[in-house]
Amino acid sequence: MVDEKKLQDAVKKTVSRDDVKYVVGYEKGTYGFQVTPSFAYDPKDADKFIFSPLCVYNLAVFPMLEEKPPLRKDQEPDTRKIGVVVKGCDARAIVQILQEKGLNREDVVIIGIPCTGVVDPKKLQAQFPENGKNMDIKTGKDNFIITIDEKTHTIAQDKLLDEKCKHCEYPTPILYDILIGDEIKATKKEDYKEIEDLEKKSMKEKWEYWEKQFERCIRCYACRNACPLCYCKECMVDQLSPQWVRRSVNLSENTAWNLLRAFHLAGRCIGCGQCERSCPMDIPLMQLNKKIEKEIKELFDYIAGIDPEEKPLLAMFKPDDPEEFIL
Amino acid sequence: MKYKKWSEADKIIEKFEPNIIGFLCNWCSYAGADLAGTSRIQYPPNLKVIRVMCSGRVNPIFVINALQQGADGVLIGGCHPGDCHYERGNYLARRRMAVLKKLLEYAGIDPNRVRMTWVSAAEGNKFAEVVKQVTEDIRELGPMQHFKRDNTW
Repeated sequence: MVDEKKLQDAVKKTVSRDDVKYVVGYEKGTYGFQVTPSFAYDPKDADKFIFSPLCVYNLAVFPMLEEKPPLRKDQEPDTRKIGVVVKGCDARAIVQILQEKGLNREDVVIIGIPCTGVVDPKKLQAQFPENGKNMDIKTGKDNFIITIDEKTHTIAQDKLLDEKCKHCEYPTPILYDILIGDEIKATKKEDYKEIEDLEKKSMKEKWEYWEKQFERCIRCYACRNACPLCYCKECMVDQLSPQWVRRSVNLSENTAWNLLRAFHLAGRCIGCGQCERSCPMDIPLMQLNKKIEKEIKELFDYIAGIDPEEKPLLAMFKPDDPEEFIL
Repeated sequence: MKYKKWSEADKIIEKFEPNIIGFLCNWCSYAGADLAGTSRIQYPPNLKVIRVMCSGRVNPIFVINALQQGADGVLIGGCHPGDCHYERGNYLARRRMAVLKKLLEYAGIDPNRVRMTWVSAAEGNKFAEVVKQVTEDIRELGPMQHFKRDNTW
């Protein structure tokens, strides 16, 4: 897959620049197949950086989580950049944030990694529930090679691949400062099969399906906190006056929250799947996001996170937008 | 907490009077509604009007919140394309509502509960027709039982 030595060298070079505060990447977790975000403030921190098929998580949240505390009278603002290690999908999140002017291009250093597909941690856990110390996974030709205590298993890619990777159209980052390895051409195509299957059901069946899903929501807002594009200073559910969505956990408020969360990502969601991955109740949030993605592609011919210069979907219009639903 | 199931909802339909919230734009639709009133055109009294300065002001939160608080349908009225007092508000609202309707449909809530219309200040007749049609449609759909709030204090 990717030469980790090259990645570490690139990170070292980036961190040693004066205008870079830190670089976010991945490091091996405590045990099992865990992978956690790693922060390199020093060139020597870069040695623990890895990139394996376990690196599903989207690190584009971190530049957005950066706190900007109020300054004292003669204090200079910290204008140092933040380095982020991104895959193809994560780079789209950064492009989308740039498009909305949530970040300036000169605030981030993007270290791009062309990615051939990452595994779904939940699927991996189901197949290999061990929690040993010496566990590793590598990408083979069309399989994953898993090493557990010096025993190797090979498993077909389709069985472990994350949902987003099965239809990945942008394996190489769209925007990067440093690219590790060679570009990869996209071979897969998004077909929205799962969405279309649910669309075909009757109204009643659809509501019964979503009722079951939304009833389970515990409103921990993990989906919001993990999402790189949910970066409002104050989220509408935290507002008290007016309080649009109440804090009680019941079907009514859960439905309102989940629909509004999906709507607020209309034309912005880039399909990294971080919301669904972080959901403790396994609510299929990506089905809502993908549905909107599909609709805006059909209605407005718009794809999120492709062009940092384009205007955001809901902030612009065309005079000939579809209006057959208008009386 | 359990909500009324579909079978129970079906029984209520007979004596059901729909409760519709109308978000009407100050410059066109609201004036259109006013004209319908002053011209003494009859239309169903089920529409409860909230005046907004522009249809672009209507946030989808308003729509979902209205449905939560017991509205059976929502009608959004704006100026005809090109006539917006703020030049582009109705175009933006059109995009928003197109996405919202698709999302509601996907979640199993009939998209006909959320309607949008262009009514100019001179179209009192059209306004009455639209309200008649929306009321009929929602009367057919029955009460909104999907995600109504059970405590509304």
